[in-house]
Amino acid sequence: MTGSRIAAIIRKDFREFSRNQFFVFITLLVLVTYVAVFWFLPDSVDETVRIGVSNSVLSTDVGGVTESGTAGFALEIYASEEELQTAVEEGRDGIVAGIAFPPNFFESTAAGETPTVRLLVPAGLPPEIQLLLEGAVSEIAFGIAGVAPPVDPITEAVILGADRAGNQISLREQMLPMILIMVLMVETFALSSLVAIEVQQRTVVAVLATPVRIVDFLAAKGIFGVGLALSEVVLLGLLIGAFAVNAPAVFVILLLGAVLVTGFGMIAGSYGHDFVGTLLASMLFMIPLMIPAFGALFPGSSPTWVKVLPTYGLVQALIDVTADGKSWSQIAPSLLLLAAWCLAAFAAGAFILRRRVATL
Amino acid sequence: MNIRRAWDVCARELKLSPRSPLVFFAVAMPLLITFLVSSVFGSLLDVNPELAIVDLGDSEVTAAAVELDGIETTVLTDTSTLRERVEAHDFDAGFVLPSGFDTAIAAGESPDLEFYVSGESLASTRIILAVTTLDLVRDVEGSEPPVTVIVTPVGDQDYVPISDRFLPLMVIYAVMIAAMFLPAASLVDEREKRTLDAVLVTPTRMSEVLVGKGTYAVILAVILGVVTLALNGALAGQPLTMTLILFIGSVMLMLMGLALGLWARDITTMYTAIKGGGIIIFLPVIFTLFPGLPQWIPKLVPTYYFLQPINDIAIHGQTLGDVIPELLIAVAICIALVPLVGWVARRSEHQLAMTV
Repeated sequence: MTGSRIAAIIRKDFREFSRNQFFVFITLLVLVTYVAVFWFLPDSVDETVRIGVSNSVLSTDVGGVTESGTAGFALEIYASEEELQTAVEEGRDGIVAGIAFPPNFFESTAAGETPTVRLLVPAGLPPEIQLLLEGAVSEIAFGIAGVAPPVDPITEAVILGADRAGNQISLREQMLPMILIMVLMVETFALSSLVAIEVQQRTVVAVLATPVRIVDFLAAKGIFGVGLALSEVVLLGLLIGAFAVNAPAVFVILLLGAVLVTGFGMIAGSYGHDFVGTLLASMLFMIPLMIPAFGALFPGSSPTWVKVLPTYGLVQALIDVTADGKSWSQIAPSLLLLAAWCLAAFAAGAFILRRRVATL
Repeated sequence: MNIRRAWDVCARELKLSPRSPLVFFAVAMPLLITFLVSSVFGSLLDVNPELAIVDLGDSEVTAAAVELDGIETTVLTDTSTLRERVEAHDFDAGFVLPSGFDTAIAAGESPDLEFYVSGESLASTRIILAVTTLDLVRDVEGSEPPVTVIVTPVGDQDYVPISDRFLPLMVIYAVMIAAMFLPAASLVDEREKRTLDAVLVTPTRMSEVLVGKGTYAVILAVILGVVTLALNGALAGQPLTMTLILFIGSVMLMLMGLALGLWARDITTMYTAIKGGGIIIFLPVIFTLFPGLPQWIPKLVPTYYFLQPINDIAIHGQTLGDVIPELLIAVAICIALVPLVGWVARRSEHQLAMTV
């Protein structure tokens, strides 16, 4: 294996890649679109349910609820029921529903009567919000009537894990690993196309008729694939602020990710008989490889079958660093898992491509 | 134009299709998207609070919690599992009901209720689950709240749930791959392999090739579109109307596909153009997903004029008569695309003649 031969093949691949100006332009356009979409995403999480209230009786603490609301529950006060109804209909002030207390609610309840409260509910109100409203009204009434709650899950709750109340991971932060991984996955297809074209047009045979050996060819494809994927994902990472926390760790994770997709790109490229075949072969890899990234958008731990997918370590390590600011030692298990998959994918890719070239 | 020869081209496409990976792709994608949307994305954007309960007795609270609408309740067997899974945010909150809890509550006592909240759960979710739990316990206590609550629906009741808003996405995938991608890829492939040159030296003319390929693409797209709507229970009892709209939409995308296939110099250029221009085709889908965005913007995009009628009929219960204005605009767009395809075809034919 000689460096000059490998460099020559890489130069050839780069020329081929950059010769199609339209392709380069669209690649940049897609990159810009990803960046624009990322910065367009909300960077904070609204954890508060806003409820409109008319004829407020909440100037004093009743049932744990006051006019200033409580954590996760805020109140907007309206002068009349009509005003409240209009606000609910128009979704004004961010309120999702309304509670219309009768004017004499406090006095009636305190006197042991059973007043009627109207909940103004817009279409599509999630049923759990309606449960909250009904429960809150009952508790306010119980509070006024002086009936203490038998249990107190509101103030006596035990928080398990790091309390993120008021500091939740925003959609933008959640999407950061996914956008980076999507770009890496797309590069699976870009590399598989380059490999497939070499195989289909049999240019690899011409290349191997020169002093270039198969090992040089495989090394060149590997380096070019990793370089292509890494340069694009690093550029994207810089534009979306992925390196803000522990930049060396993020770089290593992305490097391993680039090696991983290069391995799969070589496999897909070896099996593609034409463009569409290559696209299909790439999709067969891309779809399962994307699952851990999608899974990360859901709360909770991933199912076991997701943990055995090659990109699980990549996603987990990226989330741990970018969202949770974890250290090298904390992400070491994910990195080791990812490195093992990289080795396996790259070895399999090189082996399959070598066999494919040998049959030409 | 000779209809017989155009039909022969269409029949050839039909005969070759089982071997084409793209046709497999076109058939598999709508099924895959339907599965993903129904099982993954729908629940992703429409997440209910998740509650876990360990019931060490046989409390009525558990039975009532399982029946709650809008809260996903899971009954676990031991406290340590509950704590672990709440901490991992598999559940937003969880509580442990000790043995004899109901009896103690009914007796007016205040038994211990271990109520655990995941640190990653939203403040709003915490208060919902806490208030709901309290409400369930009050029911067991048997104390009637000193208030009557009346629920009054207000405002526009024509609300579209998030899962239904994905319908245009599934339809556009079903139709676009078959109607647009298939004829475009087929044309580019035939030009690259020069089989188109071979066909054109026979009496078959370019217009007949285009009609043949286009007919095949439209037939496949309409079938896939109808199947996708049926799988999602969105035919709304009007299968013929839906078929007509899908036909118009398929013709529109097929014409775009033919123009693209004739224009693109190779398959990479064609794929790249779809990758870059796809955002315009998908624009109405984004605006349906997010109804808060200004709704005049998708009207600038041709695909709006067949996606919106499908949406209106499937989701809002409209009829053919209600969507006629949009459909007429869609037909007008199709008619306007015909000369464009003709012009690109003549240009392509000229280039082929120069390279033969």
